Amino acid sequence: MEVWEALIGPLGFATKSLQRRGFHSYLAFLGLTLTIAATTLLLLLGQDLATRLGVDSSMRSTFGISWLIFAYLVLALGLIGIVGLLSTSYLVSSMINQRMRDIGVIKAAGALPRRLLSYITFEALLVILSSCLVGALSALLVYAFWSWPSISLYKQVGPIADAGATILIVVPMISFLLAYFVASFRVRRIVGSSSVNAISKQLANLDLKSLGKPLRIRWLGSAFNLATSNVSRDSGFNKTLLSMGVCICLSMIVLSGALVSADTSASYVVRAMPPHVLIVANANVYNQYVSLATSFSRLTRLPSINYVNESYLISLQNASAFSTIPGVETVDTRLITMTPITGYVKAHLASNQDTGENINTQIIPEAETGSTNALIVGINATSAIGDWYTSDGFLQSSDAQYTMIAGDSLVGNIVQMPFNLSQVSAFGYRYDVKSALVDPLNAGRVLYAPVKALQRNLGVNGYNILLLKTNNDPTVLSAVSQLANSFGLVVRSQDAILSSNLAFLNSTWSHIFLVPILALGLTCGILLSYLATNFSRRFNDYVVLKVLGANVWYRLGLLLWESWGVLAISMLIAIPVAWAISIFFLVPDPSVSVADLELSTLVSASALTAVSVATAAIYSRRLGFTTVKDLKP
Amino acid sequence: MASQEEGIEVRAPGLAVDFVDVSKEYLVNGNPLKALSSITLNIKEGEVAAIVGPSGAGKTTVLNIIAGLEKPSRGEARVLGLDLNGSNEHSLSAFRSANIGFIFQSYNLVSTLTAEENVELMMELAGWSDSGRNEKLTAELISMVGLTERAKHLPAQLSGGEQQRVAIARAIANDPPLILADEPTGNLDQKTGLEIVKLLARLKGEKRKTLVVTTHDDRIVEMADVIFRLENGSLGSVDRPARVRN
Repeated sequence: MEVWEALIGPLGFATKSLQRRGFHSYLAFLGLTLTIAATTLLLLLGQDLATRLGVDSSMRSTFGISWLIFAYLVLALGLIGIVGLLSTSYLVSSMINQRMRDIGVIKAAGALPRRLLSYITFEALLVILSSCLVGALSALLVYAFWSWPSISLYKQVGPIADAGATILIVVPMISFLLAYFVASFRVRRIVGSSSVNAISKQLANLDLKSLGKPLRIRWLGSAFNLATSNVSRDSGFNKTLLSMGVCICLSMIVLSGALVSADTSASYVVRAMPPHVLIVANANVYNQYVSLATSFSRLTRLPSINYVNESYLISLQNASAFSTIPGVETVDTRLITMTPITGYVKAHLASNQDTGENINTQIIPEAETGSTNALIVGINATSAIGDWYTSDGFLQSSDAQYTMIAGDSLVGNIVQMPFNLSQVSAFGYRYDVKSALVDPLNAGRVLYAPVKALQRNLGVNGYNILLLKTNNDPTVLSAVSQLANSFGLVVRSQDAILSSNLAFLNSTWSHIFLVPILALGLTCGILLSYLATNFSRRFNDYVVLKVLGANVWYRLGLLLWESWGVLAISMLIAIPVAWAISIFFLVPDPSVSVADLELSTLVSASALTAVSVATAAIYSRRLGFTTVKDLKP
Repeated sequence: MASQEEGIEVRAPGLAVDFVDVSKEYLVNGNPLKALSSITLNIKEGEVAAIVGPSGAGKTTVLNIIAGLEKPSRGEARVLGLDLNGSNEHSLSAFRSANIGFIFQSYNLVSTLTAEENVELMMELAGWSDSGRNEKLTAELISMVGLTERAKHLPAQLSGGEQQRVAIARAIANDPPLILADEPTGNLDQKTGLEIVKLLARLKGEKRKTLVVTTHDDRIVEMADVIFRLENGSLGSVDRPARVRN
C-alpha cells in the first residue's frame, strides 16, 4: 500500500497540477520543446552539411580552406549547442520559479521537505521528459522532410547514411540531464529557503537590495522610469542579462564568424591568384595551367603532358622582353612540372625529462612520410606575383637553393610539422621545407622552389609559364599579345580562373550561411520566451496601470522599454565581444570587412528588436482587452 | 478637474454619474450573458454612493462602466459630464488618469514600486511633471495615511491594511473629483477595516470627493448618502441611509 502511495502520490500531484495550471504548463512545455527541437535540428543540419561538404571538398578545394570551413562549422555547432543548453536551463529555472509560491504554501502546510522535493521534481521531470521526446521527434521529422534534393550540393554528394543518429540521441539526453539538474537544484533551494519568502510571490521575484532610487531620466518620460524600476528590481535581472548577453554574443559570433571566415577564405584565394594578371605560355602549357588552377573548384581529370618539352620553353631573353612593355609592372618567370615526391622527417634528437631530474636524449631516425605526385613550381623569389597566406613566410632570395614551400594539402601527410625537420625528395634531390601556404593551384598539392635549382635539377634553361602583373590598361594587353604571338605563345587573363574559384567558395559558404541564420532564429526564440515569461509575470501590474488611466501609448512605451531596454544592454555588451572574438581569435590572418560586420550586427539587432517590439505590441494589445475583473488578488 | 494631457473639459455641475437605461451583456461561449439590465442611477457630486448586493449582482460591472473601462451595450452613461459611449480608448484613459481614483479590494499596488513611488506614479500618469511638487505632495499623502515610516517599502513588505492605505493615498494623488472603491475592506479584518472606513470618511468630509463604493461592509453603508441595491443585474432599490438602518 505504501509503495502504491509513493508511486501514485507524485504522479497524481504532477498530473493534476499540470492540468490545472493549463496555459502556464503549456507555455513551459512549448518553450522547452521548441528549444530542444531547434537545437537538435540545427546540430543535425550542421553535421549533415559538414559531412556533405567534407565529401565534396575532399575531391577538390585545399586542406587550408577546408580546415577553415570545418573549424568554423565545428565552432558554430558547439556555440549553438551552448546557446540551446543555456536556454534550456533558463526555461527550467523560470518554470520552477513560477511554482515558488505553491511550494511555499505546501511547505507551510507541513509537507515534509523530502516529499515536497520529490513531488515538485517529479512534476518538472514530466514536462522535461515529454519536451525532450517531442523535441527530438519534431527535429527528426523536420530533418527528414528537409528538401535536400533541391540544393546542388546535396545532389552532388547524395544521401549520407546515419548522419545524425548520435546527435539525435545525445542532444536531447544532455538537455534532459541539464534540465533535471537545474530543476532539482532550484527546487532544493526553494524548499530549503524561508516559507514566508516563497509564499510571497512578489517578494520572491524582487531584489530588495536594489530598492534605492532607480534610474530616472525625466526627458525619457514616466514609462521609461517605471520600466527601469520594474527591470532593475527584478531578482533575476542580472541572471537574465547574463543569459541573454551570452546567447546574443554566441549567435553573433556564429553570424559574424561566418562572414569573416567567408571573406578570409576568399582572400586566401585572391592573395594566391591576384587579379589583373596575364598568363603567357605555350597553348598546351596554358591549358594545363588552367586545369591545375581550377582543380580547386572543378572536378576535372588532369591530362598528362611533358612540361619541359623544348617547344614549351621560354628563354630568359624572351621573358625579359615582356618587362620592357610599358604598363607591365612585374614579370613572374616560372618553370612548372609534375613529379613524384616523397616526404621525410629528418633524423633528430628528442629529449624528455623523466620523473626525476634526468633528461633522456634519444635519436629519432629519419622516417618516410609517404609519396605522391605534386606540382613543383620553380619561381624567382624576388619577382613572385602572389601574396600567399603562409605559416612562416614565402621564399626569400637569401634562402638556400634546396628550399621549398609546401602547399597546404601536402601538410599533415607528406610534409610533417615542425617544418624544420621536414624534407621533400624530388628529382633525386632533398629539399628542406621552410613553410606552408594556402594555394588553390593543383588543389594545394604544390611545392614552390627556387627556379634556378629546378632548372638545374631538370637540366633545362628557360621557363614554361610567365605571369605578368599589369596596370590593367587594354593597350598593355594588346602589346603583350603582339609580343607573345611573335614568340608563338598565348596570352590570357588570370581573372577567369580567379572568378571560377571564388564562385565555388561563394557557393560553399552560401550553404553554410543557413547555420548562422537558424542560430539567430534560436536566439530570437529564447528572447521571446524570456519576454513572454516576464510580461506574464508582471501582467497584473500592467492591468493596474491601465485601470488607473495609463493610455495605450504609455503602456506600449513601458513594455517596449522593458523588453528593448534589457535587449539593448545585452547587445551593448555582447556585440563588441562577438566582434573582437570574430576578428582576432576565429581565423588566422583574417580579412575583415567592416560592411560585413555592420551587416551582421544590423541583421541580429533588427531581428531581436523585431521580436521585442512584436512581443510588446502583442502584450499591449492583450492589455487593451482587460478590465478591473482581470486583476488578480 | 480637467485632463491636462488631453485638454478635455469634462466636469459638469450637479451630477457626477448619470446612467440612463444602461445594460451590459457579455458573450460567454457564444451565448449572451446579461450582467446589467436597464439600470438608471444618478450620483451627485460630493455624495458617497454605496452599491450593495450579492456576488455576481453586477457591482463591479457598474464600477467598470463608470471608470470607462467598459462601455454599456445599451443606454446612456455620462460621468462628470463625459459621454462614455462617444469617447475613444485614448480619451477614456486620459479621463481616468485625471478624474478618477481607484481603490481595489486586493489593493493592486504596482509590485515593483515602493509605497511612495506608487503614489507618485499616479501624479505622473495624470501628466503632472513638476517632480519637486510631486514629491512634496506624495510625502503629505503618505503622512495623511500614517505611513511615513513605511514609505520606502515595497507592497510585498506591507500588511494588507497598510497596502490599502497606500492605495487610498494613490487614489487621491492626482486630486480626482471621483473615487471608485471596489469592496475596499473586503480583504481586511474588523479593526483594519475600520481604519480604512475612517480614511474614506475623511475623503468625504475634508476632501469633498464623490465616492462610489461597492461593499458588504455595514460601516461604509452607514456612511453613504445613497445606497443602490443590485440583484441579478437589475437595480432593486435606491435607499437613503436612514431607511437602511431602519
